[in-house]
Amino acid sequence: MIYLIDHQDSFTYNLAHLLENFDDVFVSNYFDINDNKLNQSSMVVFSPGPGEPKDYPKSNILYKKLKGKKKLLGICLGFQQILYNEKGIITQQRKIYHGFQSKIKVLKTSKLFKENKCFTVGRYHSLKLNEPYYSKEIKITMRCVNSKVAMAIEDHINKIFGFQFHPDSFLTKNGKKLIQKIISA
Amino acid sequence: MILLNNKEYLNRLFESDKPLIIYKASIGYDVYTDFSDSINITKSNIDKFINKTLTSTKIRNKLFDGYIGFFGYELCCDLIGVKIPKQKNNRFPKSIFYKPQTIIKIRKNITIESILPNFKYVKDLIKTNKNFFYENKFNVNLSFKQYSKLFKKFSLKIRQGKTYQIKLCQKYRNISNLDSVKFFWRLMKVNSSPESFLIKDKNYSIISCSPETLLEKNNNKIFTKPIAGTYKKTSKTSLNKAKIFFDKNEKENKEHNMIVDMERNDISKICKAGTVKITKLKFVEEYKDLYHYVTKITGILKKSSTNLDIIKAMMPGGSVIGCPKINTLNLLNSLEKDSRNIFTGSFGYIKSNGDMHFNIIIRALVNYHDICEISVASGIILDSTAKKEYQENYIKAKSLLDIFKK
Repeated sequence: MIYLIDHQDSFTYNLAHLLENFDDVFVSNYFDINDNKLNQSSMVVFSPGPGEPKDYPKSNILYKKLKGKKKLLGICLGFQQILYNEKGIITQQRKIYHGFQSKIKVLKTSKLFKENKCFTVGRYHSLKLNEPYYSKEIKITMRCVNSKVAMAIEDHINKIFGFQFHPDSFLTKNGKKLIQKIISA
Repeated sequence: MILLNNKEYLNRLFESDKPLIIYKASIGYDVYTDFSDSINITKSNIDKFINKTLTSTKIRNKLFDGYIGFFGYELCCDLIGVKIPKQKNNRFPKSIFYKPQTIIKIRKNITIESILPNFKYVKDLIKTNKNFFYENKFNVNLSFKQYSKLFKKFSLKIRQGKTYQIKLCQKYRNISNLDSVKFFWRLMKVNSSPESFLIKDKNYSIISCSPETLLEKNNNKIFTKPIAGTYKKTSKTSLNKAKIFFDKNEKENKEHNMIVDMERNDISKICKAGTVKITKLKFVEEYKDLYHYVTKITGILKKSSTNLDIIKAMMPGGSVIGCPKINTLNLLNSLEKDSRNIFTGSFGYIKSNGDMHFNIIIRALVNYHDICEISVASGIILDSTAKKEYQENYIKAKSLLDIFKK
């Protein structure tokens, strides 16, 4: 089972339906976690949502608790939550990407995707990872072709993954394939 | 006994004080009247209404067996647990549903179907003696200066990621007591949008030329048809030019994309995984003063989804709120000083077999206690300007404001 933590976003159920291609999905609000279902889950997904990581202390505690114990995936806000809890700084960006379709490119740091492969993806984010960012475990594995903003992370030691873009958006081509790679990682 | 022909009867009905509803059909109009029941719906009785009152209706009226009415904005918020702080409020009911016994279909001919044996016995159908009057000038609740200030506040919230898009509501008001049937037909002459309707009750009326269908449920199938994107119509524009404008305009596209993903999300809550599809992406519909950018999304309902689940998942309709829904509703409710009333609620019907059809109440006028109120909203996203959106609000209100000109 996949546990999807909803930060009261209006895209969470698109993600739920995408994940249901691979396993049963249980969705709950971030402030209303079902411990029993959480224990049964093999993967926990941190959903997109409004605001910034520090607005969700409960999710931050949960991330630290689950790190290394379960496979984790963060989407958009969830992606930022992972980085925020791993000493990353999340900042506003000059250009805002809401409902924006972009090309992103896989870097050689990726173990899941082929280097230089391009994806067309949908983006909904005001904030981004402030760089330079260094981590022993977390590698930035995709970037926006134009703005070079970090778009994906992989940590194969703790099995933690994240996408800044929305694999669930209708603007993303091959969203299912992107999730498939995480599922089989 | 006085018996009138159908046309005479209908005219007599329109000139009387009898409560009635007119709803645009795909061809012509349906008139609902002879209400045997009207229920004020609240958070506490909605469950009973949907799961008991409706389903226990005995099938007697072959043409229409169910209730028709509206859910106001406040009730839609109540249902999903979004609180509304104290606002200026005229105590207009949150939601009313009516059970019609007579349906009159206005097509090429007029047909009447009623379960009442003596419906044409028109002793009580006397001409109204109400004193109708109206002003043709309106006051706006937000000046451009006030609007710009709110616009700036919301733009900051977008920069901070608190909301991705937000629709700020503006109201035009005057002192009027309308002959609502007359005004409805005046509006229909110039702008008979597909979701147009009139509710005329003893103490209020609602007139709307809404273009937007929020949901239609037939058996286990459901669709929604969100609108996002407006292009002003002039003598130089055409449907084709509007299509080119929308397709090439990054701002309109981004705004529309967001609404499409949001509506996919809302419908996914109640549909089986893998059944939610965009069946028609980004097409243009033409109206009297403007063009709209539209998408159609369909899905197959989960067996476990009740009509109340559907209402909670879809209402209030996302395209007139902003995104993401919950946080944006909270922002709107904290900064809009006037109650939205019916605006961005939904009008439509629920049949006893569970089928439903609801629009989004926009381009609408409420006449209550001699006050006439027209609400409009347009989207704040970072690429827009206060001036442009303020102007867009006026374009949206125009066809309603125009019916007050003689």
